[in-house]
Amino acid sequence: MTPTVSASGLSLRYGGTHALDDVSLRLTQGVTGLLGPNGAGKTTLLRVLATAVPADRGAFTAFGHDPATAAGRQEVRRRLGYLPQTPGFHPDFTAFEFVDYVAVLKELTDRGARHREVRRVLDEVDLGDVRGKRIKKLSGGMRQRVALAAALVGDPGFLVLDEPTVGLDPEQRMRFRELIAQAGEGRTVLLSTHQTEDVAMLCHRVLVMAGGRIRFDGTPPELTARAAGRVWSSTERDPGAKAGWRTGTGSFRNVGDPPDGADLLEPTLEDGYLLTLDGAEVAA
Amino acid sequence: MTWHVAEEDLRAYAQGELAAPMLWSADTHLVACARCRAVLAEVGDPVGLDAGWERLDAELDAPRTGVFEKLLVRLGVADHTARLLAATPVLRRSWLGAVVVVLGMSVIAAHTVRTAHSPTLFLALAPLLPLAGVALSYGPALDPTYEMAVVAPVHGFKLLMIRTVAVLAAGFGLSGLATLALPGYGLGALAWLLPALALTATGLALTARLGPVLAPSLVGGAWVALLLAAKASGASDDGTLMPFTAPGQGVAAAVAALAGGLLFLVRDRFDRFQGSAE
Repeated sequence: MTPTVSASGLSLRYGGTHALDDVSLRLTQGVTGLLGPNGAGKTTLLRVLATAVPADRGAFTAFGHDPATAAGRQEVRRRLGYLPQTPGFHPDFTAFEFVDYVAVLKELTDRGARHREVRRVLDEVDLGDVRGKRIKKLSGGMRQRVALAAALVGDPGFLVLDEPTVGLDPEQRMRFRELIAQAGEGRTVLLSTHQTEDVAMLCHRVLVMAGGRIRFDGTPPELTARAAGRVWSSTERDPGAKAGWRTGTGSFRNVGDPPDGADLLEPTLEDGYLLTLDGAEVAA
Repeated sequence: MTWHVAEEDLRAYAQGELAAPMLWSADTHLVACARCRAVLAEVGDPVGLDAGWERLDAELDAPRTGVFEKLLVRLGVADHTARLLAATPVLRRSWLGAVVVVLGMSVIAAHTVRTAHSPTLFLALAPLLPLAGVALSYGPALDPTYEMAVVAPVHGFKLLMIRTVAVLAAGFGLSGLATLALPGYGLGALAWLLPALALTATGLALTARLGPVLAPSLVGGAWVALLLAAKASGASDDGTLMPFTAPGQGVAAAVAALAGGLLFLVRDRFDRFQGSAE
């Protein structure tokens, strides 16, 4: 499949810190998850790919356009939908007015066509009934859907979502996942998240970042497979485990190198992620 | 019905060529006026008419816009530009109210303590207001939608200029009105204008390098330091500080022109994010 986004050797330093360190990737249609702890460089990578921040070294293209040039950057932005980590709103705007404002920023200047598009995206995120309500009166989940609607205006082919499920309650998170899955049909979506559940439920591919580098690039089952034979159960926390936590049954779930005769468990995506991070920390 | 839409306007409406705000008046009127709807049916082709009704349906469905936005459109600003300006943080009542209070107090001070041939306090403060206004209309710290705006296809410099012109128009308008309240000083009361342009242009040009907080702060600080230095070195014979004399005004004009040129050269910097990374 032809990649929508292709990046090679992206590096970016802030002071003495490598926010991005030789990152190369190719994104194709569907939802790609970007997992990593705080400070891993996820937001920086998303900002670079969203053309907000230029990399110090390396290059990337999106839809064949090079955002290093002003013309290429504008072409990429015409095909981009971006939901930042903490989307800001003008609180006195209604949902409609806010999305309409973003539509103007996306060069939709014809009033009638723009309003039709605004109604379409608000309906798409199930906010058609509250489009006239002021944003400050909407719940956190609804505000996040307003921000998603703004990202979807103009039907962009490349959607960059920075931790959109943070702060949502479980029900809202489930609803938001449905919307992301829907938005991912026919689009290239890069979804940054802390939640391995988001990746397990939505993504055809997952990248794990730590220390500004990509530590894993593959499918969710491949990430899970990294933990095969490396997850075991015990009545006490195993001191030899790289990580261990008490489960709902009262026993401990350990990941790492199991002792002989350990009671091995089926690995999950989270186990594979933890082991990948642990390796990254050792490597870093 | 006290009025009806002119047939010529109805023809333009049917062809989708009637522009706002007349378009909105026609939309609203047509809902209530059977006579104009009948005329519209005669002058318009059926396809165009269907499109018109669809648009009317959409207009009625869209939420009402605010007073400020409506005013801008009435003044001839395109509706999409008015929407961009409605999202400008400082073009709000709180900011404009603060500007009015500062100008009002400086005007009162000029009337109360008349020690020179120029209203020094007013002239010193008035140039700082547009500088602060423009600084507060842009940047990640004060524009909540900054991050979304910076990755939008509309060039960051264009957005900045639209907002700057609006803030300057509002600020200069208010300062101009305040100037009218100082008739005793003659043209000397207008000596804030060129320094205001110079400070605003310099602040914006330096913002590209120093960021939206440090740059205007430095420029504002430099202006205050300049005035203090001018006061310490002695005013002209009529008590006017050097920046408000004819040579001072010439320097301000030159600085404004130079900073304007520099700003144009660094315009692409406004097309990228100006803030911390994480």
